[in-house]
Amino acid sequence: MIEIINSAWFTLVVDGGRNGYADVGVPGSAALDQFAYNLLNFLVGNENGAPVLEVMGNEFTVKVNCETTCAITGAQVTAYVDDKQITPWVSFAARTGSTIRVKQVLEGFRYYVGFSGLMNVDRVIDSYSTNLECRFGGFRGRPLIKGDRIGLKEPKVVGERFVPEEVIPAMEQPHVLRVLEGPEFHYFTSEAINRLFEKKDHSWYIVSTKSNRTGIRLEGKPLIFRKEMDKSITSEGILPGTIQVPGDGLPIFMLNERTIGGYARIGMVAKADQDRLAHLKPKDKVFFQLIGIDEAERLWRQKIELFYRTLPQ
Amino acid sequence: MDYSRYGEDGVRVLFGNTIDLETNREIRKFYLFLKSLHRQDIIDIIPSFKSCLIHFNNRLTSYDDFIAFLKQKTENISSVQIPEPKSHEIPVHYGGEYGPDMEFVCSYSGLNEEEVIEIHSSIVYTVFAVGFIPGFPYMGTLDRRIYAPRLETPRLKVPEGSVGLAQLQTGIYSFESPAGWRIIGKTNVQLFDATKKPYSLLQMGDLVRFVPI
Repeated sequence: MIEIINSAWFTLVVDGGRNGYADVGVPGSAALDQFAYNLLNFLVGNENGAPVLEVMGNEFTVKVNCETTCAITGAQVTAYVDDKQITPWVSFAARTGSTIRVKQVLEGFRYYVGFSGLMNVDRVIDSYSTNLECRFGGFRGRPLIKGDRIGLKEPKVVGERFVPEEVIPAMEQPHVLRVLEGPEFHYFTSEAINRLFEKKDHSWYIVSTKSNRTGIRLEGKPLIFRKEMDKSITSEGILPGTIQVPGDGLPIFMLNERTIGGYARIGMVAKADQDRLAHLKPKDKVFFQLIGIDEAERLWRQKIELFYRTLPQ
Repeated sequence: MDYSRYGEDGVRVLFGNTIDLETNREIRKFYLFLKSLHRQDIIDIIPSFKSCLIHFNNRLTSYDDFIAFLKQKTENISSVQIPEPKSHEIPVHYGGEYGPDMEFVCSYSGLNEEEVIEIHSSIVYTVFAVGFIPGFPYMGTLDRRIYAPRLETPRLKVPEGSVGLAQLQTGIYSFESPAGWRIIGKTNVQLFDATKKPYSLLQMGDLVRFVPI
């Protein structure tokens, strides 16, 4: 069993996502950084798809009441097991009664904490991920709070595993996000499009404090719609990473909580860069870089290769 | 049908450029047929007013192979039989504390409350799409007489079961959520149950009539 001593700013049970029911509006609610999530399960010796904790903020503290292997991935953090400092992206053993504490986030935003063994949380519509709006999945459909206890089925101590340093993604800002053209790319003036992808001082956006797990809002120079174009579209399907632009001209990154949207989809964040969205924190600077589909596919293949290179053969 | 790419692992199939029942029926047929194939390489299908967005697994197939399969499989789609849509009656408490925008809809339309209720509940609506939040039905087509624009600033929260309208659509908020539509009533019918398949009471193509209570 594990017990939450301090839930930091926000702690949620997540997994690889909830698929197959987007036709009735069920979103994926997956861990936002899938690279960090998948490698975490590898580090602690769990099967693909096991639930983990997705945490934001300093001072996350959890007490472990069994012998188990743990690990932390995602954002760069300083962390301790009892008084001993531990290295993220490397598994470590926790003894019965040990306290794991993440003191500070240094770079990035969301980090992932996992344990060997299966957390006893709700599996709803084929997934452990929490759907916050509908309050199902994960730990009773809600964020974790101090005092919550989660059972661990078959905890075990496995040999040390690590993710090579060169594989750990950088998260420093400004974030440069590579994007593909979306269906409503042509809704915007060529001046607006050119400026968006210039990567100069006047073309960056700032992550708004009004962002949440549904969408990351940006502040900056509004994108101008062509005169003849509507400022909204007939509601249509969207996928994670879609960049919507409402009438105010300020882009929103849609994360994993919506299946249909009604705003112009100017572009999509390339799959290879989608994990980075988990690490955009309020006030961070964001640049856009337009790429073509061939380049996007090349980058994605590269990322997949990097992932498999980390796993034992 | 016009196929285009939506990122690395999406295909957008556009069926037309207007919102009409005929287009929506075609989309429903395409979507149900595709779903019935139970393909491993299809992660999700999102049908809506004018298009069907397919999320495919790009670890199992490539865009080119997937498009080739889609085109070949759907060549003779006109002969495919699909199940008839279901009909539902949804009881609604109109106005008062349940419909904070009833007054606005009345003044915008120049009608009184009884007339708005009469018009809203006299049409059999078609569910054009389900989404945005789980179980939320986008329904049409609303009578032009009670047309109302969306709120300029959406409400941060409306209660579960709120019945709203926007332009020529009407919908039901299946969960408490932020809302930009004009709320004219509320139902106690549960639209989404995460513990029971098919989870959503209303499915694309279903027919809905509101019954005032």
